[in-house]
Amino acid sequence: MPGSTDPRFAALDPCVHCGFCLPACPTYLATGDEADSPRGRIVLMRALERGEIGAADPALTQHIDACLGCRGCEPACPSGVGYGQGLEAAREILAERRGIAPAARAILTVFSNRLFWRTLLTAAGWFRATGLPARWASGTRLGFGMGMLASTRRHRVPRSFPGFHMPHSAPTVALFRGCVMDTVFRHVNEATRRVLEANGYRVVDINGQGCCGALHEHAGDRKGAESLARQNVKAFGGRANYIVVNSAGCGALLKQYGHLLGTRDGEHFGSRVRDVSELLAAKGPRQGGPLPLDVVYDAPCHLQHAQKVQAEPLAVLNAIPGLRLRLLPGSDKCCGSAGIYSTLHPDMARAVLDDKIRGIAAASPAPRVVTTGNPGCHMHIGAGLRAAGLHATVLHPVELLDESYRVGGLYSRQQ
Amino acid sequence: MKESLLTGLAAIVGPRWVRHRRAELATYTMDGLPTHESWPGVVVIPGSRHELIDVMKALHASKTPFVARGAGTGLSGGALAEGNAVLVALTRLNHILSVDPASRRAVVEPGVVNARLSEAVLPYGLQYVPDPSSQTACTIGGNVAENAGGPHCLKAGVTTNHVTDLEIILPDGSLARLGSTHGDAWGPDLVGLFVGSEGMFGIACSITVRLEPIPPAVRTMLADFPGIRAASEAVSAIIASGIVPAALEMMDQSCVQAVEASIYAAGYPTDAAAVLLVELDGQPEGVAAEHAVVEPLLRAHGARHVLTAESAADRARLWQGRKKAFGAMGRIAPDLVVQDAVVPRSALPDVLDRISEIRDRYALHISNVFHAGDGNLHPNISFDRRNLELASRVREASREIMTVCVAAGGSITGEHGVGNDKLDYMPLIFDAETLGAMQATRRVFDPGERANPGKVVPIHACREWCASPAARGNGRQQHGSLAEVAHD
Repeated sequence: MPGSTDPRFAALDPCVHCGFCLPACPTYLATGDEADSPRGRIVLMRALERGEIGAADPALTQHIDACLGCRGCEPACPSGVGYGQGLEAAREILAERRGIAPAARAILTVFSNRLFWRTLLTAAGWFRATGLPARWASGTRLGFGMGMLASTRRHRVPRSFPGFHMPHSAPTVALFRGCVMDTVFRHVNEATRRVLEANGYRVVDINGQGCCGALHEHAGDRKGAESLARQNVKAFGGRANYIVVNSAGCGALLKQYGHLLGTRDGEHFGSRVRDVSELLAAKGPRQGGPLPLDVVYDAPCHLQHAQKVQAEPLAVLNAIPGLRLRLLPGSDKCCGSAGIYSTLHPDMARAVLDDKIRGIAAASPAPRVVTTGNPGCHMHIGAGLRAAGLHATVLHPVELLDESYRVGGLYSRQQ
Repeated sequence: MKESLLTGLAAIVGPRWVRHRRAELATYTMDGLPTHESWPGVVVIPGSRHELIDVMKALHASKTPFVARGAGTGLSGGALAEGNAVLVALTRLNHILSVDPASRRAVVEPGVVNARLSEAVLPYGLQYVPDPSSQTACTIGGNVAENAGGPHCLKAGVTTNHVTDLEIILPDGSLARLGSTHGDAWGPDLVGLFVGSEGMFGIACSITVRLEPIPPAVRTMLADFPGIRAASEAVSAIIASGIVPAALEMMDQSCVQAVEASIYAAGYPTDAAAVLLVELDGQPEGVAAEHAVVEPLLRAHGARHVLTAESAADRARLWQGRKKAFGAMGRIAPDLVVQDAVVPRSALPDVLDRISEIRDRYALHISNVFHAGDGNLHPNISFDRRNLELASRVREASREIMTVCVAAGGSITGEHGVGNDKLDYMPLIFDAETLGAMQATRRVFDPGERANPGKVVPIHACREWCASPAARGNGRQQHGSLAEVAHD
């Protein structure tokens, strides 16, 4: 049904209610409830916009809040309905009229301040080092949190290497270090630097960068997101040919800084952002040593839908000799992590995840590694595997490539 | 809605699975046909067969009308409930209960998604043949209710030809078994009666279907024509040659352009007036022989190009475009009326000419996408309901198209069912006595007329049925309960 003046709500107008989006929606698959489907939520968003159902109606907010924002419905829609735009507009109305939930507000405050998140996440890293989270990981709510933390640990320590000699003509890349990636996933950032250098990129360090603001933006806290974006744009300035990021959720927003800030600087920043798999795939990437492992790839929504980066991570993994790479049915579906969603809606997040874990458990031969390029998915799937008693490990694709390079001796000699 | 019933339902399925808040009900006010809206009293989503039976008993005890709903992709408003009626959503009953590859049978719950079943039996080299265009979303239970068709029903038959037996829950909560898994059931064909009854006889809680081997050879041809009439004459010529293709589908230019603008773009030529998809399957020698007949026929009737897809990926791409065509209509205008009429194949060229003439006279945008092989037309009229004058022209033109189809010897529905969308057309093809017989048959299963009230048989003709010989007997008493339902 038509009738919108806000262009973002008008993006919902082509919906003819055919229902082809239903099987693409992780929350609908988990509940079978039309109110938890893209089609049902479009009805709710339109009612919200027209004022037929108020922003304070708990039944409406429950089902809009329960959307993962994975946008898996968009590529299923024959009419090209702009679901993501409608959702953004609806969430802004909700954030404006009822404010942001206290639990979400608390999390966002932590990520707005570098001192806060660095202290908290560094402490989490120390706690992880005690080995207790791995021992306490289970299917209970607390145990699941422990599993999330435990799954971030480094799985092999590459020997230190003298570094690559870079010609001056090599393209320069600035690593967006992020918050979670810079603390509990610091080893992934280190691996990212190594594999980029091995592929002929010169990596430069940028100080003064912070959280990307994606969590704020998803929760409808646009001001918080803008403030962090301005800080990052200033820190990176015009340095480096590319800004490389290894977290899909961050990358999706970083690429949109121009849209978010509405400034030339923001636009210039966004246009230089690349997912690490894009830069590696552009170079082949260079082949390493063999890793004879059964590996399944799980595509982060913010990589495949928001950034439309689909083939590149597979190209990276396919460059590893001996790797037996598979895509399981549903590997393109959201895992239920969705930023802070899994903290705010643990039951739905687990219900969505269960399908994926069942698929991994049923796969034969049993995968040794699940690989995905987003920290939220990494921890959520990792905790799910532990809760289900499965022995598969979650790794970032870059970690696998890094290991392949180590095995292949790329790091052991001066290049 | 009575508080006691809500409490009772919540006790059966758990409060989480009873939806009664306004915002939640809003999401259930439509099925796949958004031109009809009606608000259910409450939505209940049982999670097991056992819960479903208890829900049905509770509804019977409180004399509450109910409507069964699958994925809500139906196109005749059949899965809408209004007034106090309870919408029973079957999406959580989505388990494939058993697969017997040797006997080629599967037993499924009603909420199993059509395409999921074919995926599940693929490792055995089997498939579930009926493939409605919405098969990635629609449920087998909904297919049974509507006797769904699909492109591949031309040669293989529609849903009723693929269901061997059913366990049904009658509206009073009791169970009955219809049909026989192997061989033919004794007595009248009760499965045939139930399949296509549009949810008015009860709810099928376990459905046994036939599985078919995947044919060893398949060829899909894409032929494009400079005129719709030429394409429809090619259809008649193919059927007249004695060959029954696995599927024979037509799309006109407007439809092709919408599909080609979408994510499901299949490579159909956008400058053609019409395209035909012809699929042949069977043993390789047979397929090659039929191909040698069909391709020259297509060319003889003016096909500009005939492309043959032999790889599975190419075939899948050609079919995705066709199957998602309905959903792509939102690219043309925000609202859509889908017609579903059947005409004798020989009448296709003339009827299509008449539809074009009606389109021009009413100045409307009509896209044709249909199962040409069995004469099942789907004119899609795109419009914007904010334009009231346009909306009224759409209604008039719809009715005129249906009248043309009936006059050509056709029927008012091919596969979408009657629901509430086509109630008004029923008297075009059935007299009062026949409608009365339908109502009397329904009362055998549902004496209280609580299952999917207000659908299929028009209520305003009620007095006439009561007077009809078929309905005489308990008619007067039932008239009372009908009125109650209608005015609740």
